[in-house]
Amino acid sequence: MGSDWFEFTVNFIKMILIFLMMVQIVPLLVWVERRGSAFIQNRLGPNRVGPLGLMQLLADAVKFLTKEEFVPARGHSMLFYLAPIAAMIPATLALAAIPLSVPIHVEAFEWLGQNWGPYVFKFQGYDFGIGIVFVLGVSSLAAYALLLAGYASNNKYALFGALRASAQTISYELAMGLSIVGVILLFGTFSFSEMVTAQAHALSFSFFGQPVEISWLPNWGIFYQPLGALILFAAMFAEANRLPFDLPEAEGELVAGYHTEYSGFKFNMFFIGEYGHMLVASALMVIFYFGGYTLYPWLTPATVSSWFADLSPTKASLFTALVLHVVLLLKIVVFLWIFIWARWTLPRFRYDQLMDLGWRKMLPWALFNTVVTAIAILVMRHQWGQ
Amino acid sequence: MIYEALGFYSLSLFILFFAYKTITVPNPVHSALYLVLTMMGLAGTFFNLGAEFIAGVQLIVYAGAVMVLFVMVLMLFDLKAELRSFSRGLLSGSLKVMASALLAGMALGAIKNSVDPAGLQPPAEISANATRQIGVLLYTQYLFAFEVLGVLLLVVAVGVVAVSRMKGGTHAKH
Amino acid sequence: MLNTEALLNIGTNHYLFLSAILFSMGMIAVLMRKNVIVMLMGIELMLNAVNLSFIAFARESGQLSGHIMVFFVMTIAAAEAGVGLALAVAIYKKFHEINIRFFEHLRG
Repeated sequence: MGSDWFEFTVNFIKMILIFLMMVQIVPLLVWVERRGSAFIQNRLGPNRVGPLGLMQLLADAVKFLTKEEFVPARGHSMLFYLAPIAAMIPATLALAAIPLSVPIHVEAFEWLGQNWGPYVFKFQGYDFGIGIVFVLGVSSLAAYALLLAGYASNNKYALFGALRASAQTISYELAMGLSIVGVILLFGTFSFSEMVTAQAHALSFSFFGQPVEISWLPNWGIFYQPLGALILFAAMFAEANRLPFDLPEAEGELVAGYHTEYSGFKFNMFFIGEYGHMLVASALMVIFYFGGYTLYPWLTPATVSSWFADLSPTKASLFTALVLHVVLLLKIVVFLWIFIWARWTLPRFRYDQLMDLGWRKMLPWALFNTVVTAIAILVMRHQWGQ
Repeated sequence: MIYEALGFYSLSLFILFFAYKTITVPNPVHSALYLVLTMMGLAGTFFNLGAEFIAGVQLIVYAGAVMVLFVMVLMLFDLKAELRSFSRGLLSGSLKVMASALLAGMALGAIKNSVDPAGLQPPAEISANATRQIGVLLYTQYLFAFEVLGVLLLVVAVGVVAVSRMKGGTHAKH
Repeated sequence: MLNTEALLNIGTNHYLFLSAILFSMGMIAVLMRKNVIVMLMGIELMLNAVNLSFIAFARESGQLSGHIMVFFVMTIAAAEAGVGLALAVAIYKKFHEINIRFFEHLRG
């Protein structure tokens, strides 16, 4: 965690901030979702409490906290309490492994009569060399929250919802994993920050061994992997159980699916988990295909730090990280809006259509994408005629 | 050193406790959930041992896919907690426990005698680039085994579909 | 007298001890439980114990072949779990029972 207690404290606070970020984005998203759906459906939406209805979230929170605590009589009460917690853990852990900006370099300074050595604080909870594998692994644990909730509720609708959810998660995980393979092959790394660094310059690739550079386009993954991006985004909808893939909680058939028996804050925790998944999914899309926290040619770590060249190095590094963090957040917001937009635009799939899409369309296309990417990389990067 | 020991012992305690719960709780669903926790503990141990990629794969394959299948099938069956979760027979039961204990004792004894406990110095560090090296090894030295495994998986997939669509077989009513 | 040095100096031995105990636990599950699926879980536990020893040896020797073996074992374990569960489901559909004693009545 750190070599001395200053570094330790900062890292600890950082983790808490990331968790709070995930939790705090939920009320805002709920507001955007309700106002946005109203806007799409030509209604007004919640607009009574506070300016633009923003205080509605506070009222909702109070309502959630004061609801009756309810546990089904013949369910498994321990698992019933465990499920909402399990719903929040995967999204939190996954979000903490994603770099949200460039590292902050703090120079050596003197404070409280002591010398504090130079530090490098990464703008993320923790950094593994294998960030992508970790995020995939952790988010594959999300199925347990739904299974536990369905099983512990002792309710047939809840159980059906849970079984549907887990089957759906397993099916779409395959397509999701395979669609990422293309980007991994392309950038040759499992680390998020290396992937972002690779996308922070002009579009450059080798065409049959000849280097080609297009200076007005950024080197984003989307230009190499449009199919992979599409499949990943669709699979992310399924993983987050959002419409058009919200079969686990289809209210026409299953009352409310796996969270039928949940009320009050436990229900809210499922909600936070779902929005956390959306957040992680958007962040992954941005980092894999849309340049992460950089925006070539205007906002790259090099250009932004040149704005702050006359400040002290510590401050310059801090401000650079903050500016790039805002860039990442703006990109994430675009994808979150697409999530909400799709929810109020597309109808729900039927269950057989869902399975058909996952196994017979997305999986073969993802496999095709992987194979074509591998062959293209082999052929294009080969030094022909030498 | 003390941190490594702390990490090892807490993880071992975690793993052994949940493994014990896995094999003793009467409700099979609880058993499977405890096994998931055991797998996660093992992933942590792999991570401690410097096998980051394997730890991630352990999470994806075991905790995320295989155990979800187990839990799903158990929930489909809707088994009540079994009153007698262990097989019958005091004599045969104690024989089985003794056989397992004997195996464990022999293994522990063999480990104790084979490696010099004092000679365990910090082992060769696996480099940070281990994932790439695993890939290279997999596609050069172990290519044949890798291909065979691919064929095996195909055969298994076909077999599973055949088994689950099987109409006849045991005690079939014609 | 406890030798604290040997206890605190974590090496391959410690991981092998853990692995051996886990393996025996898996074996007990396979030998003693009545539920077929719990027996399958015991097999998974045994395979995991073996994986642990592979990884420990890989670190001891500094070679990555151990990791490859773990990779293969995981693949086979996943395949085995798939087949085992499919068989269990097929049998459950016939008998509504997955007690191991009922498997005595199987015939072709």
